[in-house]
Amino acid sequence: MLPFTVEFRPGEPVYEDVMYAVKKAALSGQLAAGERFPSVRTLSQELKINPNTAHKVVAALVTEGILTVQPGIGTIVAIPAPGSAQDKTALLNQEVERLVVEAGRLGLSEDQVIAAVRKHWRKFPSNS
Amino acid sequence: MNTIECQHLTRAYGRTLAVNDVSFTVPPGSIFALLGPNGAGKTTTLKLLLNLVQPTSGRASVLGCESTMLTQTHFRQIGYVTEEQIYPEWMTVRQLLDYYRPFYPSWDDNLTGRLKAIFGLPEDRPLRKLSRGMRVKAILLSILPFHPELLVLDEPFGGLDPQVRDDFINGMLEVIGSNRPNTVIVSSHDIAEVERLADWVGILLDGKLILAEPMSSLQTRFRRLEIVGPDVAARVPERLPPGWLKLERPASTVAQLIHSAFTDAAEAEVHRVFGDATVKPFPMTLREIFLVYSGISRTPKERTAA
Repeated sequence: MLPFTVEFRPGEPVYEDVMYAVKKAALSGQLAAGERFPSVRTLSQELKINPNTAHKVVAALVTEGILTVQPGIGTIVAIPAPGSAQDKTALLNQEVERLVVEAGRLGLSEDQVIAAVRKHWRKFPSNS
Repeated sequence: MNTIECQHLTRAYGRTLAVNDVSFTVPPGSIFALLGPNGAGKTTTLKLLLNLVQPTSGRASVLGCESTMLTQTHFRQIGYVTEEQIYPEWMTVRQLLDYYRPFYPSWDDNLTGRLKAIFGLPEDRPLRKLSRGMRVKAILLSILPFHPELLVLDEPFGGLDPQVRDDFINGMLEVIGSNRPNTVIVSSHDIAEVERLADWVGILLDGKLILAEPMSSLQTRFRRLEIVGPDVAARVPERLPPGWLKLERPASTVAQLIHSAFTDAAEAEVHRVFGDATVKPFPMTLREIFLVYSGISRTPKERTAA
């Protein structure tokens, strides 16, 4: 079992999906700082992904400072949770961009889109 | 040095070309998925690599050696899994491992232990009394512990239940994820099975290799474009420009284009052709790419949009 869930989008690079899932878990506090991060082998076995891809993910997370290498142990989560609002917003960039493009195609106004977002936002009690 | 290199590899059976002018390379450390429907020539290609079948023309090199010159030294670095394999049926799993161990100086008992834990095989039952799934795991258990430099897997997942497949893949990853780079070439007609595992892909159809390249390059260059506009139908060009693999018009205002060389410039060209129409690119799964090619090979006329 991995301490986070990866949603694979059909046709998209596996690397990006895994990176996104880990960052989301780290920034939301799901992965606590100081906790051990799964090894390359565990990642590749649990997700059934190429070990080279798993290796690339871990290396990139170390470079970005989300993981640090602890000799003899492996990698541990380094980011102090919760992350800054800016980091968290950056995670949503893709989704927001997609929403804006789709809304533009449908000919909606900025206000209409914001109203639609607000309506959905209020459906989740934890968001208020 | 590439682990596998084929140039114009061809094998005829009578007048049928089972493998027809196939050229590809497999770099060290990669997992290469050789995909194709049944009868496409996957098994023959793998047999050519291992010198179990000799080429009618063309050549292949494996681990730096001409395939027709492979010796015991090379075979000690190659693990081969196939449905046709003949095994001493009366042996138990334990006897099988005891039998193989002395042949391989690189045999790793520690790894054997970890694999046994993953596979959960009864060690004292003869092979002939094992289920198909357990036999496949036993075969893998007998070839992984010597850290083969090259794994050749011919349709390893065929007819396996999900749990056995899971064990099989985990066993494989236990080895290739470890210290030294191992190369894997795996043939399959089940595309979803290998999509996330493979970093190189080759597609065989009727003995011919349609493509062979890194997965990342496939994901970059293939797009399905949905084109919507009032005069889309009228703007469809008579001859498709290069890279436009297939164009269909499911409605007078909608066209669907499969683009095999998608870039910003290619997108601009589509906009030029279709004027004010909206163009929406979708990434394509390996399965979708595969089906486009197998569709084209079945009905050659579809290549030029009807």
